[in-house]
Amino acid sequence: MSSKAGALIAAALVLALALLPFVPGAIDHYYFSLLFFVFIYAIMAQGWNLVAGYAGQISLGQHAFFALGAYTTAILWTGNYLWGSLYETHPRIYYFDPVTMVLSGLVAAVAAALIGLPLLSKLRGDYFALGTLGFGEIVRVLLINGGDFTGGAFGLVAPSGTFDTLLPHYWTGLGLTVALAIGIHLLIKSRYGLALIAVRDDEMAASSNGVNVLRTKVLAFAGGAFIAGICGSLYTYYIFHVGPDSVLNLDWMLLPLMMTVVGGTGTVLGPIIGAFVMYVIFDFARIWVPDYHPIIAGLAIILAMLFLPNGLSRLKLGILKPYSR
Amino acid sequence: MTEIPSLQVLLQLTVNGILGGAMYGVAAVGLSLIFGTMRLIFLAQGAMIILAAYFVRALFQGLGIDPFLSLPIVITVGAGVGWLIYQGLFRRAAAMEDRNVSLLIAVGLMFLVQNLMTVIWGGNTAGVVTSYTASGIGAFGIRMSFTRSIGFLIAIAGTALVMLFLKKTLVGKAVRAASEDMTSAALLGISPHRVNAIAFSIGLALAGAAGVAVATTFPFNPFAGFVFSLKALVALAIGGIGNVAGALAGGIILGLIEAYVQYFISGGWTNAFGYGVFLLVLMLKPEGLFSRPYKKA
Repeated sequence: MSSKAGALIAAALVLALALLPFVPGAIDHYYFSLLFFVFIYAIMAQGWNLVAGYAGQISLGQHAFFALGAYTTAILWTGNYLWGSLYETHPRIYYFDPVTMVLSGLVAAVAAALIGLPLLSKLRGDYFALGTLGFGEIVRVLLINGGDFTGGAFGLVAPSGTFDTLLPHYWTGLGLTVALAIGIHLLIKSRYGLALIAVRDDEMAASSNGVNVLRTKVLAFAGGAFIAGICGSLYTYYIFHVGPDSVLNLDWMLLPLMMTVVGGTGTVLGPIIGAFVMYVIFDFARIWVPDYHPIIAGLAIILAMLFLPNGLSRLKLGILKPYSR
Repeated sequence: MTEIPSLQVLLQLTVNGILGGAMYGVAAVGLSLIFGTMRLIFLAQGAMIILAAYFVRALFQGLGIDPFLSLPIVITVGAGVGWLIYQGLFRRAAAMEDRNVSLLIAVGLMFLVQNLMTVIWGGNTAGVVTSYTASGIGAFGIRMSFTRSIGFLIAIAGTALVMLFLKKTLVGKAVRAASEDMTSAALLGISPHRVNAIAFSIGLALAGAAGVAVATTFPFNPFAGFVFSLKALVALAIGGIGNVAGALAGGIILGLIEAYVQYFISGGWTNAFGYGVFLLVLMLKPEGLFSRPYKKA
């Protein structure tokens, strides 16, 4: 199958998904919310993929950036820091507000740049991974001890009365997933993307060919954090209660990481495929064997790694070939 | 923090810190060995420690075996489980360039073990209460819990035995050679798989020893292990990766930091200081506090 046919199939699939809410009864169906979660995880997985798959830096702190994004949205909203008196006349102004969402991503990205500069200039490989894990735990302590600003161990509750349907969540999730896939596809064809892959494959060679290694890595790290932050913001509009146990849960780092590796690290479609397959497995396990579902999650990871260590998207399927490295 | 604490309080804090930190230390020694040969952050170590603690509890409640007397059983079983885990789960992944695969298998194992424990023993907090749990040793106005003191001795003895093994035996030397440079070690005829399996066996035997110490001193639940893994990682980084005595010392330093911060600042900030020191050490002295600077040839 040519890459043109692959692109056509992908476009048709996206169009079908975008129009799905117009099918009568679809919105109220359970699968609709399942798809929303698949999108959330696909976005998180893509963020990790950018840092680990393309820049080659294993980050174990994506959940911290997710939480920073979620908290930024909740803080701006509950404290009304952004829109002042407009909030009284337009009570829904913070709900799916693009400014709030982008700011949430930016807060995460700035935090990533601040922590990434010292970490990435000093640490390589596993040491960097350990450092990001430590960063996540420090963010946890800060959020728990943030007093009224962060709501302490309980967290913050945004006005959940704004929720009416899952439609905006679904479309935003789908839109972000598709935009990210296209964006990363274009990025790796660009000058910066080539530099990124050069750094991943051989830092020394990249550096001697004039690539600014540190800047390239920090940009990728901040970019991955930006994606996680926006995703955290989107999740806040769904969950409304933002707390250290819910949004700073390690699952927000481990599951996307696992989905990316199952789907194929360093491929554009891998994170999406991985998010879909793994989330569906988890969710069905949760419904059918509720007592044992985390066991099945653990087993699924181990089995996937034992038998599919290179990821689903690197199976010899023509449609995926142009996206594999 | 209104007045200067008495010497006695300081001493008590120090003792508490050392006794508590030794637990992190013994977990860190296991991690250090596994990391040394496989370059794998074995995140499931904490879950394995808790599993061992449940095993100790089952032996105590079911067969009436005293927790400390069950130590040889738990260590032997741990070593066997370690060997099986390596051969069954990590053998293929260890040979791969992509180390994410090993890391993820460890994560999967952690999920699996945590939740198996929940299904078998329930999610509630459990503990082992013996006739001597509440007793303590007092000297110079300082109190030391009896079980914690034994736990400390177990940690010291375990670390010393591992060091002796690494320094004096041929197999131990092979493990050390492999942690320094796996490729050269393999060229000299050391089988990577054997060395990795040995590291895993010892690592999980130590998890067993730590499990005995945890079971007798702390209340525990199936999910308590992850914090242990994290703190062991901090101890590992402080002590220097690949440095066995350093890992124990790193654990004790972390225990001291926690004890002092808890008393002088507040319990809520202990973790921030622990991980802050961790980040500082990683950045300023990534080879650990106790290692001489490592020169690459």
